Amino acid sequence: MRAASLLDASHDRMAYLSNTPNPLARPAESLDAPDASTTVASLDRVKYQAASESGAGAETTGMALLVAFVRARLTGWIMAVISIGSVLLAWHLATHYRLDFYVRFGNIPSPGDVFEKVIEVNQSTTFITNIGISVRRILYGFAIAGVLGIGLGLLIGRYRWFRQISMPALEVFRPIPAIAWVPMSIMLWPSNEVSIVFITFLGAFFPILLNSIHGVEAIDPVLLRAARSLGAREHTLLFEVVLPAALPHIFTGLAVGMGVAWVSLIAAEMISGQFGIGYFTWEAYSLISYPEIALGMITIGILGLLCSSAIRLTSRLAMPWQASASPGERS
Amino acid sequence: MSAVMSKPEVAVRGLVEMQDVSVQFKVKGSAVNAVDSVSIHVQPGEFVSLIGPSGCGKSSLLNVAAGFVQPSAGEARLDGVRIKEPGADRGVVFQQYSLFPWMTVRKNVEFGMKIQGVSSTARETRARTLLGLAGLLHFENHYPDQLSGGMKQRVGIVRALSTSPQVLLMDEPFGALDSQTRVVMQEILTNMWQRLRISVLFITHDIDEAIFLSDRIYVMTARPGRVKSEIVVPLPRPRTPEMTATPEFAAMVQTIKGLIREESLAAMGGELKEGGLAGLSVEMGPQGVEGAIE
Repeated sequence: MRAASLLDASHDRMAYLSNTPNPLARPAESLDAPDASTTVASLDRVKYQAASESGAGAETTGMALLVAFVRARLTGWIMAVISIGSVLLAWHLATHYRLDFYVRFGNIPSPGDVFEKVIEVNQSTTFITNIGISVRRILYGFAIAGVLGIGLGLLIGRYRWFRQISMPALEVFRPIPAIAWVPMSIMLWPSNEVSIVFITFLGAFFPILLNSIHGVEAIDPVLLRAARSLGAREHTLLFEVVLPAALPHIFTGLAVGMGVAWVSLIAAEMISGQFGIGYFTWEAYSLISYPEIALGMITIGILGLLCSSAIRLTSRLAMPWQASASPGERS
Repeated sequence: MSAVMSKPEVAVRGLVEMQDVSVQFKVKGSAVNAVDSVSIHVQPGEFVSLIGPSGCGKSSLLNVAAGFVQPSAGEARLDGVRIKEPGADRGVVFQQYSLFPWMTVRKNVEFGMKIQGVSSTARETRARTLLGLAGLLHFENHYPDQLSGGMKQRVGIVRALSTSPQVLLMDEPFGALDSQTRVVMQEILTNMWQRLRISVLFITHDIDEAIFLSDRIYVMTARPGRVKSEIVVPLPRPRTPEMTATPEFAAMVQTIKGLIREESLAAMGGELKEGGLAGLSVEMGPQGVEGAIE
């Protein structure tokens, strides 16, 4: 994020310094341009050379840009190491000196204990199998929630009759937390595995659905009018205007949904589970194996982080038009 | 410029006729007349402006022509065929930026042609030609958010032209732009029109803009909108910015200003009376109201 803004800034500077028109741009532009366009082109050029990829002074500033980029990246990494390192250090000190001031660190495993456990659990396949099973449950539950949530969201947002027929029923189910479904789910589905996937699905479904609906509702009506005046029929409107226009909200829903999916999955695994990282963590508590509790928790944290990063990456690939800079940020 | 003049393509299609069109809106349950029995027309290849005080229903009329709004009475026809719904035979340029933000400039321009089933190579060629005409070829792969307001509107015009419509419907297309950009845009538009000779129905509240661009101007009354007068602009084509400095131009501005002032005063008077402040209109005098002409 920092690096991107640095890049922008130096582009701007280039644009203001060079008043000469971009030599590469000229011939292409004058191909068909009538007189007036040249006047406006010169107006625009000062401002928009920034946007042009082929700058005249690219070579000289290229090196400076690279340095700035590396520096920004490096700063980010150093900050990340300090951030995580200080947590580890505090944890280590608290357990080493067995801190006891209301919060009791007496029985808490130290980072070293947990690290030893990492090596130990990886000597058999049980641990990695547990992770694999949890990830598989997430993928199934989340994929179904994504397809249904986005699909229904588009229909509900776009067609009043569909909203009227489906929303009242959905509104009744919405406030019921996914975890509250655990007993019912075990009775409802043929196997334990399916019921856990169902719980995971429920957790992800409503955030995705509601954000998709909101995405459709938030579309600027002028875009729909423009598309219709260009000859678009309903099918084209739905898939080539409504869907892409709602994508930013849909991805918000996916990110939130992924978080809730993990919450629901871990709870379900702890309550009804066999296998899975939530089950692993709960079993460790039953067996009074404290380092494994911490290991389970950290593993859940890392898996959740990886999943939300995957969604963020997908959203960036799916929406290349979205500016990556965050305007609210202060450097 | 003279090269363009020597081969004027005379448009054979693009006749817009509106006959006794009325438009009603429901406001808090009661019907309000936005437009009352308006009959206007645009000849093939003619540039016609609609001008009037704010809230006179000029945009409603354009929406009827575009097919977004159904008239409560009367009908609108394009080349003799009744307008029922939006379609690619009428290009629309909106006041708000209406480019699809998820498409590059060129994809925006290709959108309508894609629906028409034009092959991808033909689409690209036409899109690039039109973008070149508007001086935008350089920006074909940019996203709309990377463009200035004036450039976005130029892409909007290009996109509206992409489907080879019979008529271009423009709803205060430069209303959101600053005055310098606006003047340049008017020049670009008049140049593009000079080349394409397409029928244009242009909504504006800017008197200079209407005169500079149009062959004919309809001045509308305050709500409910009716046609107050019709003015033929005698300025020769192609139009150049120098023409705006002629006494002829200034005289036309004065005439239209006077016409609109009457209407604005009438509208203001009505509003003030409704608000129980009728006495205020006397104190304000004509100069004070000038700012109120949108």
